[in-house]
Amino acid sequence: MKKIKAYLPWIVYFVFFLGLLVVNPGTHYIHLVSRVIIFGLYAVAFNLLYGTTGLVSFGHALFYGVGAYITGMLVKATSPEFFVLYILLGAVGAAFVSFFIGLLTLRLTGIYFTMLTLAFAQLVWGLTFKLYNFTGGDDGIQAIAKPEILSGGVTKYYLFSFAVVTICIYVLWRIRRSPFGAVLNSIRQNPQRITFLGLNVYKNQLKAFVISAFFAGAAGGLYAGLDGSIHPDMLHWPTSGNAILMATIGGMGTFFGPIVGAGILTGLEEIVGKYTEYWSFCIGVVVLIVVLLFPNGVLGIKKIGGSKNNEEKETEVVCNSGD
Amino acid sequence: MSAILEIKNLDKHFGGIHVTNHVNIAFKKGEMSAIIGPNGAGKTTFFNLITGFIPSDEGTVTYEDRDITRARPENIVKLGIVRAFQVASVFLEESVYDNIYLAALSHFRKNAKVFINRMAFKDAREHTEFILNKIGLFDCRDLKASELSHGDMKVLDIAIALTLQPKILLLDEPTAGMAPDERIRMMGLLKELHEFFQLTTIFIEHDMDMVFGIAEIIRVLVQGQLIAEGPPDYIRNHETVIEAYLGKEVL
Repeated sequence: MKKIKAYLPWIVYFVFFLGLLVVNPGTHYIHLVSRVIIFGLYAVAFNLLYGTTGLVSFGHALFYGVGAYITGMLVKATSPEFFVLYILLGAVGAAFVSFFIGLLTLRLTGIYFTMLTLAFAQLVWGLTFKLYNFTGGDDGIQAIAKPEILSGGVTKYYLFSFAVVTICIYVLWRIRRSPFGAVLNSIRQNPQRITFLGLNVYKNQLKAFVISAFFAGAAGGLYAGLDGSIHPDMLHWPTSGNAILMATIGGMGTFFGPIVGAGILTGLEEIVGKYTEYWSFCIGVVVLIVVLLFPNGVLGIKKIGGSKNNEEKETEVVCNSGD
Repeated sequence: MSAILEIKNLDKHFGGIHVTNHVNIAFKKGEMSAIIGPNGAGKTTFFNLITGFIPSDEGTVTYEDRDITRARPENIVKLGIVRAFQVASVFLEESVYDNIYLAALSHFRKNAKVFINRMAFKDAREHTEFILNKIGLFDCRDLKASELSHGDMKVLDIAIALTLQPKILLLDEPTAGMAPDERIRMMGLLKELHEFFQLTTIFIEHDMDMVFGIAEIIRVLVQGQLIAEGPPDYIRNHETVIEAYLGKEVL
């Protein structure tokens, strides 16, 4: 029974994203859900740092963007034949960059860490703008071609994205449930105790930082293929903020929450965007509601119920310690 | 008995104030010793220096003939010097079982495994259950740490430390904030664990019943200086100690 419960989110995941193809709502919506799964991977990767390790990076757009730009630029420089390899290289590149940034930023804690990650991301965003010949400046990179098997019809690329994202998320899921994942989750709760368990907090945080950046980079690379165009906005701070929003709305304490958050954010933009250009105002309201009413996020609602019960049985259980 | 932990000329000052003032102590193997002294005497700082949590300014710490003065705190833990805290330092969102299990994973060096389910390690599971039974937390293993009583949380803190199978156990006020009956239980527990695990136990304490009840050697710190050390009877009648800390009416 316990086993089934652990796999239930996976069943929902497969039923929803594959069921979409059965329902076949048309290219517009398949494209929309493609964005949801790619953002979902980005948010889940980010949440390894945010919800699990307790590190609020405000510069994750950097890794997302680096992944996208490496993939896009490699396709432009060579041929789309090796597109899949380039996504991998984009992820590796993002991980490589994150290693050095993590090395520096993780020396700091709390808000100082957050601000420094933001500074690095904005720096690279600025460079992307200025280095027109190299990155295409504010035009970004257009007409990124895909290999033949992936082009023609949005469904093919949807399936491809779904496969890549599923593999990535499965790896992240395994990591979260491993001893290493337990260490990360405990670093968030009490880093001092981790030190006095004989473990190095900094090294473990750095590993988490690099893993998180790797998968964020993979998401960026996938996005480069979705529309065939990338732009400096992907590196800009609102993209970093979106990762925080998606994880917070969906539930940073849950594994699949950020995907739900990605769905809500993308869905709102789609629905409200039809009526008004001020759709981000609506997102602000939703975030406010979620933070005030469901501080554990949408998927975390059930957990609130649980903790309320605990508050009711306030009487402390006395163990038989010392007998 | 030989010295397992030797402190030589250890000094730490913040500005002009010597929080630890050129202290020399040799802790013998298997000894149960107490460190007492008024508030601000530098007792916790002394622990922080031994465990590498803050760097010392002068002097050396030698553990089993190995200089650990400049070692990183996590490496000192791996060598076998482990501590529990004045304010219980546990993982509040985790169950009692998971608190100890994480320590067991670290003890068996399984903490860096990335792709295996964390519960898959039989040695760590068995060790966790052994500790739970030994320390009397087995019945509440499924409770969240945050749901424990204050006393049990302190016991959990010590249990986490013991899971690492230390040679030296440093306890910072194990009975702080406890009710009298909890203190008596804690006293019995510490004595039992000290013998069972063949520990060298060093504890800071303000509860004099406990100090004079179970310590073999008592050391008195006042303003960073070691002013006296010896067995309970010696300390009880030591004039400077009575003047500086115990007070005349107590004993």
